[in-house]
Order: sequence, then C-alpha cells, then structure tokens
Amino acid sequence: MNKKSTRNILLITALAAVSVLSACGGGNDKNNAGTNTGGGNTSGGNAGKEVTLRLFSNLPDRKSGQGLAEQMVIDNYVKENPNVKIDIETLAEEPFKNKLKAYMASNEALDVTMVHGGAELNTLVQAGYVKELDPKEYEGDKYKFLPGVYKSFTFNDKLYGLPRNSDYEVIYYNKKLFDDNGIKIPTTYAELLEAGKQFRAKGIEPMSMNGKDLWSFAAFFQDLVERVSGDQNLMLDAVAKKKSFTSDENFTKAAELLAQARDTKLFQESFMTADYGASQNLFTQGRAAMWYMGSWEAGMATNDKLPEDFRNNVNVLRFPVVEGGKGKDTDLLAWNGGGYSLVSSSKHPEEAKKFFDYMMSADQWAKIVWDTGAAVPAQKYELSGKESELQKQLTDVLTGATSTAGAIALDSGTPKFKDDAQNVFGKFFAGGSTPEQLLAELQKAAETQ
Amino acid sequence: MQKVFNNKLAIFLFVFPGILLFALTFLVPIVLSGYYSFRDTLSPGTPSAFIGFANYTELLFHDSRFWLALRNAVLLGLGFILIQHPIAIFFAIMLDRLGGKAEKWFRTIFFIPCVISVVVISKMWLSLLDPTFGAFNKMLDSLGLGFLKHAWLGDSSTALVSMLFILIWAGFGWGLLFYYAGLKGIPDDMYEAASLDGASGFRLHWRITVPLLSPVITVQITLAMITALKQMETVFLTTNGGPGDSTQFLAVYLYNKAFSASQYGYANAISILFIVVCLLATYLSNKLTRSDATEF
Repeated sequence: MNKKSTRNILLITALAAVSVLSACGGGNDKNNAGTNTGGGNTSGGNAGKEVTLRLFSNLPDRKSGQGLAEQMVIDNYVKENPNVKIDIETLAEEPFKNKLKAYMASNEALDVTMVHGGAELNTLVQAGYVKELDPKEYEGDKYKFLPGVYKSFTFNDKLYGLPRNSDYEVIYYNKKLFDDNGIKIPTTYAELLEAGKQFRAKGIEPMSMNGKDLWSFAAFFQDLVERVSGDQNLMLDAVAKKKSFTSDENFTKAAELLAQARDTKLFQESFMTADYGASQNLFTQGRAAMWYMGSWEAGMATNDKLPEDFRNNVNVLRFPVVEGGKGKDTDLLAWNGGGYSLVSSSKHPEEAKKFFDYMMSADQWAKIVWDTGAAVPAQKYELSGKESELQKQLTDVLTGATSTAGAIALDSGTPKFKDDAQNVFGKFFAGGSTPEQLLAELQKAAETQ
Repeated sequence: MQKVFNNKLAIFLFVFPGILLFALTFLVPIVLSGYYSFRDTLSPGTPSAFIGFANYTELLFHDSRFWLALRNAVLLGLGFILIQHPIAIFFAIMLDRLGGKAEKWFRTIFFIPCVISVVVISKMWLSLLDPTFGAFNKMLDSLGLGFLKHAWLGDSSTALVSMLFILIWAGFGWGLLFYYAGLKGIPDDMYEAASLDGASGFRLHWRITVPLLSPVITVQITLAMITALKQMETVFLTTNGGPGDSTQFLAVYLYNKAFSASQYGYANAISILFIVVCLLATYLSNKLTRSDATEF
C-alpha cells in the first residue's frame, strides 16, 4: 500500500468517525414539533424572547390517538406563542420509563415530562427531579379536574403532577368474531373461559395479552380479586402489608381462577413474548377475539390506519363477574395513571409552567383528547355528539361504575415490589407454578419491598 | 524526531488526552459504581444512606435471580466454546479449502448475520419462533412433526435453549471469520509436508491446524466468555429475561434493577461483581488455554 492510499483510508475513517459522533449527538426519535409558524413575528413586540422547551413523552405515534392529541395541543400553543419552540422527544412505553430514569440520574434539563403516577413518579419525587404543584391553582372552571384524580400524583400530601386521563381496565372485543362463530358474549368468568375454549377450537386466539410487559397479568389478577371479594382495597391493602396474600381465602380463589385462564389457554399462544404492540396488532388484525387493555385505547375506533372492518366491530366489555363472588361487574379497576410533571432542572421554568398550565386546561388536552376519541380525560368533559360508538361504551362503563379502585396494586408499592411481583406473575404463567406458590411469592415480594 | 521523544513535556502533551479520556470513561465510572454499591440510593443525587456490604451480602447469599443470571451466562459461554467454535473451525477449514469465487460467496453469506442489526435479528427470531404464525413451527408441521410445535421463547422449559441457539447462531460469523483469518496465516507447505508423510483428512487438521490455531483459539475462548457475560441486547429485545427468570442474564438483570426496580445502589453492587466475574473469567480462560505459541 502506498502512502497516498494509506492517507486516504485514514481520512475516510476519520470522517466516518466524526459523522458517527455527530449522529449520536443528534439524538434519536427527536422531531422538531414547534417549527415557527408565525412568519415575521418579530414586529409583534410582545413576542418575548425566543425559548425552546423540551417535552419528553411516551406517545411516539404523532399521527393518531393520544400522540396526535398531544401534538395538537403543542401546535395550538406554538401558534399562540410564536416565540416558543417545543422540542419533543418520544419513546414507546417501556423504553420511555427507563430513559426517564436515566434522565433523572443525570439531572437532564427537560422542561415538561410525561410521568406515570404511583411508584414510578415516587422515584422521581424522591430524587427531587419534579416540581411540587399547588393544587389550589388547578381548581375551578379553567381546569375542571374530576374529584379524587390526584391520588397517584400526591406524595406526603404534596402534589407533583397532573393526570391526563381516567384509566380503567376493560375487555375490548371483536363483535364480528363472536357473531360469525356463534359464540356468546361472556358476562361471567366461566362464560369467558368457555368462549375462550370455543375460539381456540376454531383456531382463533381468544384473548390477546401483552405478557412480555407483565403488568397486565397483575391488573387481571386485581380484577379477579375484586370480583371474588367485592373489596376494591383488598389487594392494595395486601401490598401495603395490612393484609396477607397467603391467609385470605379470597386470594386463594382468585389465584385458582387465574390458573384456569392459564390452563384453558385463554391468552394467545405467543403471549409471553408479546409486547404491547404485538398484542395490539393481534387484536386489531382480527386474529384475536378479545384484548385485555385500558381505556386509553379508545382511539382504536377512529384510527384510520386500522382495518375498517375492525373499527366497526370493536366493542367494550366490563370484566365479568365470578360465580359466587361478591364483586359486581360495575366495580371498576380505575385509576389515574398517566400525566405530566414540571421538571425541576428546567432552564425556562416560567415558560415551562405557562405551557404546562395551557396544556392541562380543560379546553386543551381534555377537550382534544375527547373530541378526537383518543382517550377518556381526567377532567370533566361534555359529550359533543360526535363520539364514536366505542367512546360511548367507555363512557357508560365509567359513569356506570359503582366503585373504583383508585390505584393499580402493582404501582402502589415500591418499584422493587413491582419488579418482583411482575417476575412472580411471569413465572406463574410460563413456568406453571401453583396458585399457592404464586400467593406465597407475592407475599414475599410485598414483605421485602 | 528524536528530540521530540526526549522532551518530557511533549510526551505528557501527547499522552495526557488519552489518559484523561480513559480515566473519565473507564476509571471514574468504576470508582463511582463502587461508591454507589455501598449505598441504598435510587439514583445519583437522591438521598441515600451508607449501608456497608448489605447489597453484596443480599446478592451473594439471598438473591437466587443473580445466581441464575450468572449460571445462564456461563452456560452461554460454554455453548459458544463447545458448540459454536468447533462448528466455526470446521466451516473455516471447509471455506479455506473451497477457494475461488465460491469461497468469497460463502464467506459473505456466513457473515451476513453479523452485519444485521441486533434489533432486526431479535425481531426476526421472535417471528420465526412464534407459535401461531412462526415459520419454524410451520416447518415442523410440514415435516409431520407437528407434535413438537411449541411456544419456544414463551415457555420456561424451552426459552433458555432457544435463546442460547439464537445467540450461538448470531455470533457464528464472527467466530468463523477469526478462525478463517487464522487459517490463512498457516503456510501451505506445512500441509504439503504432512501429506507427503502420509497424513490426511481429519488427522491432518487435528495435528496441524488445531495446534497452529491455538493462539487464535485462546483469544476466542476469552472473548467468548466475556461476550457471554456481557450478553444484553438480544435477550432484552426478545424475552427481557423472561418468562419468569428463565433467560435472565447479568447485564439485563443489572439494567432492570437500576432502571425498572429503581434499586440503583443494588444494581451498582451487581456491576462491581460483574467486573470481578469478567476478570476472573479472563484469568481462568487464559490460564487454562495457555500453551507455548507454536512457531512456524
């Protein structure tokens, strides 16, 4: 090799290295949401100085559902405040949670971030990463928050974030698959398992489950515990060590029912490796008859990327009652999980607060998310008359609820409890441990949290 | 030139940036990790208390998940050494003999899995092994082996074996390439001389190729152990250590403890033990495979 070609190779390598480095610096999944739209606004005088706010969100799909709603709020704000640019970074659920902790660890200067209430937010609060809010500021007609929605955002009587949605678990089902196969829509747990057997016999996956993420199992179990005992607080109390998983027969019964779901193969065959997206795809492509998921998926009915046949047939089912159980089908596993918080290390605290307040006002996020059919807000909303059938059913489930849980048990303990308990459910579903083992290990997880 | 190399200041100026970079990216984090491993912190900056060796005693004496993760890593390392490498050596020899255009073709084909992104590989195997629409189960069906159909990655009795298979498959190209390069360094006249003496086939390779490849094999075994211990991406993307803990690996476990379970201090204790285990593995594999390099 002569000198010249050696030099060329070195040069090319150096260039490649530099471009790789600069690519790293650029960050992924970032898109400049708030491109300045008000052409020549400098003459406005009151435009203020240019600021760029950073928003971190778990809604990567900006074209439909809640991602679109969030984007619309941002666009509205940028239009009214041409001096503000909003840089948004989005990641899917699980990567989002992990990266947020990494951001917390490095005290990254975000301005506003999406947060999950309960254990997740508690970690951020303890690290001092999010700002305390004054609940008095958010009273009244501008915000219209429903009563009791601050529960999972309040720690030591201090408020650290605002919920964006009312979350509750339902069973979405594909009516056409039920009708075409002559299968009865279940109202009891036994009927649910029976429907599962019939679907399986016809080669259709009965219920889609995001087993890789594991938290759905815990929610499913909490639903069963409530249906057996009629007590919304039983599982929460057990996590808080006020009751015991192993000495209450309601838990034993619920764990046996859970084992039935596993043993009759109620969930799709690949449920243990299916993440959120995979379980959703299976359902929306009409390959699974049911999907156990939260009310935040209301947008499925209006998402034009999904098959029309599916959109016309998606319906909502309350979690069925259990024979001999004390719970009613109107007892709802509802809580306020997702929301937004202000970040302490924000470089533009005033501008950030202004944007945050704007976003949380009733005529922005809450209204848009309802009007677009993306989710059920945590604020009072009026029916516009243009709701999708799915939304109306979801509203019925919420307004017809005779009791609500207020929190999801998995999130009511420490993050360590959550990790341990999820692992216990994973073992139960894939390894085939007994109901007794499940309860003993849950008890251990609660004790060592 | 000589003058420059005698100038202490020049030496310092040239070497300092490198040392600084090394210190900042390797030494400081390790020291910090050690510091946090003695505390019960949620993340750097959160209030924390000094808890001595509590994290370590918990890990070593009460945490079965840690030992399971370590066992899986050792199994993977053994899988690399006992399954992947012999096959890689075999194919390297075949490839070396092939010659001409075919050699180039096959070399490329074998190396393809190594160029594909880990994410793609993970998603590909998830689909291939899917119990409902996966090609693997379909293939079993068409061979009349339908009774073997299985949720390969979703059942804790088969998840680890499937995972090891994927990892061994994915790393095969690298092993092959190393051995192939090693083979190219063995002069042809060695073989000519040996075959004149009457050696042939398997004997020829057992007596000549393997001993002469031994420096490569030594390096490869060390690398295999380290790769196995560090295994993260594929596991994280396919099963995330599940179902249960059946495919748990050290790095995944560490990551989940730090970021999902918010036990940052504990995770740092794992990372310190992790370093110790890696050093130990390197030391052992060097010790066991040490032989005087054959000169030729």
